Amino acid sequence: MIDKEKLEEYASKLMFKMKDEEYKTLQEEFEIILKQMELIGKIPNIEKVEPMTFPFKNTDVNLREDEILDYLTVGEVLENTKHQIDDQVKVPKVVDEDV
Amino acid sequence: MYRGKNITKIRELLDKKVITKEEVFEKATSLAHYFQDEYNSFVTILDKVKIKDSDSLLSGIPYALKDNFSTRGILTTASSNILKDYVPVYDATVYKKLKKAGATLVGKTVLDELAMGGTGTTAHTGVVRNPWDKERMIGGSSAGSAACVALGIVPFAIGSDTGDSVRKPAGFGGIVGFKPTYGRISRYGLFAFASSLDHVAICSRNVRDAALVTDILKGQDPLDMVTLKSENVKYVDTLNDDIKGKKLFYIKEVCGKDFYKDTNDLVLKKVITTFHDMLDKCRDKGFIIEEVSIDMDLLTALYPAYMCISCAEATSNNANLTGIQFGPRGVGNTIEEIIFNARTEGFSELIKRRFVLGSYILQKENQEKLYLNACRVRRLIVDKITELFEEYDGMIAPCSGGVAPTFDSRSEKLSARYLILENHMVMGNFGGFPSITIPYTMIDKLPVGLNITGRVKDDALILNIAQKIEELTGLKDIYAKVGEIDV
Repeated sequence: MIDKEKLEEYASKLMFKMKDEEYKTLQEEFEIILKQMELIGKIPNIEKVEPMTFPFKNTDVNLREDEILDYLTVGEVLENTKHQIDDQVKVPKVVDEDV
Repeated sequence: MYRGKNITKIRELLDKKVITKEEVFEKATSLAHYFQDEYNSFVTILDKVKIKDSDSLLSGIPYALKDNFSTRGILTTASSNILKDYVPVYDATVYKKLKKAGATLVGKTVLDELAMGGTGTTAHTGVVRNPWDKERMIGGSSAGSAACVALGIVPFAIGSDTGDSVRKPAGFGGIVGFKPTYGRISRYGLFAFASSLDHVAICSRNVRDAALVTDILKGQDPLDMVTLKSENVKYVDTLNDDIKGKKLFYIKEVCGKDFYKDTNDLVLKKVITTFHDMLDKCRDKGFIIEEVSIDMDLLTALYPAYMCISCAEATSNNANLTGIQFGPRGVGNTIEEIIFNARTEGFSELIKRRFVLGSYILQKENQEKLYLNACRVRRLIVDKITELFEEYDGMIAPCSGGVAPTFDSRSEKLSARYLILENHMVMGNFGGFPSITIPYTMIDKLPVGLNITGRVKDDALILNIAQKIEELTGLKDIYAKVGEIDV
């Protein structure tokens, strides 16, 4: 079983906290998914297959020109935050005063 | 007069001026409100709509949109607390196209939080109930989109399909669910879940309506680089093509007649028997249908491979949900504290579990064994199905081994039945194949769906085949006739 500390470390990297009982469910879930993944490891010569990360080769892709377009105005950007000062999104201080 | 009508019938009423567009919209919203407390299809029901003049067949036709499509000025929550106040400032391409066609948006529908789930039970606004039996799930993640079509509130709704998120609830709801080829419809403005698997998909009550809506939505979009070039064909015009001699296969290990002969599950037995009866009817109609066999090890690997790929992609796609630029901001003195608190409060337990799983899979030490092996399974499956599509025009199977589950049912996640029969439709996402679900029988007064999947870019043929089979089911245009409302 994957230990709780390891899972806490992942949750911390993902920037959220979980409750103790939630970790218990997560450990159980890991048991199942890792058992299921073991099935994959048993497929003969699986390591020789090229991994597939896209459904099919798409020959229709046209790269568009790298043009500067105006999508959102400052006003539109600010519509979704209650925290603003002048025409900017207000965030807490990110540079420590001692630095 | 309005409820339960399909697009063609509402079009007729509008064209003959029996009813105005405004009246149609009013009837649809009154139904939406009437059923909301009991079935919970919607996050937001709109009260007003600006009806655009258009000569499109969809002009004045009401519809619903899953709440993970960006709609300017309209709350869009993805059914998650982390976006509970989010009002987008831009429109998804799908919404833009429907607006241009004059279709009228009735509401934004409930989904499993961030589209990650297959039950319709994890939204921040509560569970969605199945219109055919409210003690049962409709399935997900496009739960509200399927439910509002199954209730006869709107003739079509838009959803998204990453594993089977439209086709599964369509099956449990007795409606049509169509996921065209990957890239056929632009995903610009759809909140990404797993980008290599995400598709826009359509819920409707018959195959023709699904074709008609796809015709409006398809086409290349510079804002979604994976979109395919437009074809000069209208799917709705090719529906009557002759299907005589078209070849379909079903996979023995998914739904073979004898494969479940020892089961004690009577509903599963009925599903398999009725499915094979339907295949016989299809043969009488001129289809050639044959059984093929695929390695069980490969099939049982489908679901875990899907979990690995989708969770890994979801973990990075949702990293933008910090509460800083949008969504409720957490409390705290530092930016880290604020993001930590926003994400801790904003995501439900299930989402956190999936993200941790995704993160674990992507760790350097696990990538080879988990993520890359999952991607290898994806290739083996897609290559196998593509090889079969050289001989056959499509693959056919029941959507599930049963009727819609009750809320307290638990699945045995390591059983072969769970791993294969309940999750085989994910093959459509792995390969980007066009794939459609239609209802084919009723078991204990509950609808059961079958699924047809075809070659990449062969959307027209799949719709054509589905319409021919729909004619044999006697279940075209069905909806759950519940409630005492007559509009």
